Amino acid sequence: MSTLDVRSTARPRRPLFQKYFAALFVAVVVPLAANGASEGWFGYRDQRAFLTQRLHAEARSAAGKIEGFLGDITDQLMWTVQLPWREGMDERHRFDVLRLMRQVPAVLEIILVDGAGSERLHVSRVDPDIVNSEIDHSQDPALIGARSDRTWYGAVTLYESSEPHMTVAVAGAREINGVTIAVINLKLIWDVISAIHVGQSGDAFVLDRSGRLVAHPDISLVLRGDDDPAAARLTQLRQAAIAGGGETGEGSNADNRPVIAAMAPIRGPEWTAFVEEPASEAFTPLRAALWRTGLLLLAGAVFAAALAYLLARRMTGPIALLEKGAEAIGAGRFDHKIKISTGDELEGLASRFNEMAVELAVSQERSERIGRLKRFLSPQVAELVEGSDQEALLDSHRAEVVVIFCDLRGFTSFSGVAAPEEVMGLLQEYYEALGAIITRYEATLTCFMGDGLMLLLNAPVPCPEPALRGVQMAAEMQSSIQSLITGWRGRGHTVGFGVGLAKGPATVGRIGYEGRQDYTAIGNVVNLASRICAAAADGQILIDAAAAAEVGDAFALAPLGTRPLRGFAEAVPVFAVELHDRDVVALPAAG
Amino acid sequence: MTILQRTIFAAVALALLHTGALAQSGKIYRVGLVSIGAPGVLILGSGVARDFAQRGYVEGQNVVFEHRAAQGKVSSLPGLIDELVASHVDVIITSSYPAALAAKEHAGNTPIVVTFSGDPVATGLVSSLAHPGGNITGVSEIAAELSAKRLAVLKEAVPSVRNVAVLWNADDLGMSLRYQAAEAEAKRSGMLIMPLGVRAPDDFDTAFSEMTKTPPDAILMVTDILTNLNRKRVMEFASEHHLPAIYEYAYLVHDGGLISYGPDVDAIFDRAVGLADRILKGAKPADLPLELPARFELAINLKTAKARGLAIPESILVRADDVIE
Repeated sequence: MSTLDVRSTARPRRPLFQKYFAALFVAVVVPLAANGASEGWFGYRDQRAFLTQRLHAEARSAAGKIEGFLGDITDQLMWTVQLPWREGMDERHRFDVLRLMRQVPAVLEIILVDGAGSERLHVSRVDPDIVNSEIDHSQDPALIGARSDRTWYGAVTLYESSEPHMTVAVAGAREINGVTIAVINLKLIWDVISAIHVGQSGDAFVLDRSGRLVAHPDISLVLRGDDDPAAARLTQLRQAAIAGGGETGEGSNADNRPVIAAMAPIRGPEWTAFVEEPASEAFTPLRAALWRTGLLLLAGAVFAAALAYLLARRMTGPIALLEKGAEAIGAGRFDHKIKISTGDELEGLASRFNEMAVELAVSQERSERIGRLKRFLSPQVAELVEGSDQEALLDSHRAEVVVIFCDLRGFTSFSGVAAPEEVMGLLQEYYEALGAIITRYEATLTCFMGDGLMLLLNAPVPCPEPALRGVQMAAEMQSSIQSLITGWRGRGHTVGFGVGLAKGPATVGRIGYEGRQDYTAIGNVVNLASRICAAAADGQILIDAAAAAEVGDAFALAPLGTRPLRGFAEAVPVFAVELHDRDVVALPAAG
Repeated sequence: MTILQRTIFAAVALALLHTGALAQSGKIYRVGLVSIGAPGVLILGSGVARDFAQRGYVEGQNVVFEHRAAQGKVSSLPGLIDELVASHVDVIITSSYPAALAAKEHAGNTPIVVTFSGDPVATGLVSSLAHPGGNITGVSEIAAELSAKRLAVLKEAVPSVRNVAVLWNADDLGMSLRYQAAEAEAKRSGMLIMPLGVRAPDDFDTAFSEMTKTPPDAILMVTDILTNLNRKRVMEFASEHHLPAIYEYAYLVHDGGLISYGPDVDAIFDRAVGLADRILKGAKPADLPLELPARFELAINLKTAKARGLAIPESILVRADDVIE
């Protein structure tokens, strides 16, 4: 009963398996996830930093190439300002220009200005040469700029609103060497810009100071001039790159594809070189790293789940076995064996359970035995017999015993007329009163029939002065029952109580069959006691001579002479125990 | 992987690659090439095929060229264009202004890449270089101004020249513009021009007899299909009469002409094919600005000079890109 009740009232909401599983899973997954997340984050940062670094390097390299392109042209132009403008030098200056134009295809036209700022020669690839036009260039910003900085770069202009041109001026070391002003066809930067490749499919482009597209691998974009939506996107990309500070910028390129861009200044004309790489391509290693981390985390989680499952199973499996075992033992199946061989505390616990089951079995058997003994022995004696393992006491043997019989007088006629409830109620009171006394005197109850019962003393457990003890007990019984009888008489029931006691040798032992055994005494003394009891009047305790001899002076005995008793050839001497007031409730006057 | 697995893997990979390659080569582009002259003469010959080959097109495999030559007959051009449209060409490349004009008028929506058609803005083929707008793009020429430059180069090569005969196709608007530029330069530099406009091959005899009657100091031949087809006669006449002559393109100097100054022909075709390539890959001609020639070359044939008894000054030799000795 108890196990079932406990289980049903305090049923755990989450089974142990789930708890163990969750705890173990979390224990493995949390550090793994933390590690994966931090690794992913730092990996992302490193990759991003690497990307920025790489694009910046590419941008600087692109800027360097454009600077190289322009530097080559200005270096060549320097040849034309090495000689002074003196008489007879005109032809040499012209040759310098012709040779230069042969050498540098990007130069479209050249104007040579002498030290006074006057135009001396104008050579073009398209128009006829003009010699000594003497146009005054002294206020030309190109000339002023070149005089102050040696090299001057003008703004980018669009020829026929399409082809990008730029004016470059260089000045000689001495003022008399004059200044060379050249128009450069920037379309030829295409050879340089189209050779720059960033990553797999990234490229480079150049914007001038005002954001105008100067160079792009797609020459058409450059030639489309201003107000082109594609070029406008590149200007926006420049804003993004500037907003990104030293980092990279993200935006759309001319083809409206998302790109990552970095920029680097081009010294001289104050242009900016940009490199762009498609975002999808630039972030490929980043994405790959994140995927790797994600997959590792997933694999880790699966592993953790498997591990947690196995461990939780290992923990809860034996516990379930224990629970089942406890249930079986609780149900009284003490032969149930819990089989756990985990080699740990759980196995120890299981063997404790098994031992407990064995002990319980033993204990139950013993208590059953005691229960049986208690049917005829007082509880103390039963415990003594059982506990001291002196069951041999119960074995048949001959012993000197005191046998006491007692019964109610007039009970048979009473039971014939009284209601069954009343009969049983009276008997109940009667036996309760007797039982307490019998138990106290540790007398052995061999049997009771209706209102009569037979008691033994000195068997199976010996006691000193059994006859005296028997008389004392009988006196108490008589006193106790007489007080009950007073009550009963008040209710109109006329019954009495008599006791007979004899001492003598008898054979004692258990009789009966399996499951239903009694302890009894067999011998003349039993018959004697029974006959003496029959002879006793209400309120009387009669004893035989052997008992009287033992009682001696302890009680006042009145010899009643010999009495003929049924079953006895000779008359038997009988003594009545004189009950004093202190010992016995006074007998009613009626007698 | 076991060897068997590896073999199967390799076989599958190869099969996939092969299928991919076939799929790629599935599209065969058709390129129409229209010139006013004979096929292969000037323009649109092997140079174009080579430029296409450089961009990954293999004739017969993923590109087919449809040559159409007018043999000098302008009136046959519309019919040739119609033929190309009927054979569903993906792009038409034209040479000369009449071919470009015929394509503009007859090719419908078929993209056109023009070459050697003078100044397409001035002749109204397109609205602007940067935003051509329609279905025409190509390479423009700074043709008219260059006539003046040629006159100056001729004067520098042979300083004694004063009276220059100019031969040009008077039926071609672009060529007439070039003549006018030369005339203006002559006026500026104090030279005289003998205008010899021709309209048909027979007109050359008239021009030659005129020059025989009043011999010029030199000849400037404005190059179009008409003069080009009769170039041998012009060169022979110049040789016979010991006349220095200047032409527009280097190949004419290789043919025996004395001197030439003009845009790099190979570069022009390279750019034209570049534009055609963009169109085949999906770009719209309206979005592809016309390009101006970026490289000019001066060619001189010293054998011819020697035959004419001419001493070419250093100032010409120093800038010559192409010297035939």
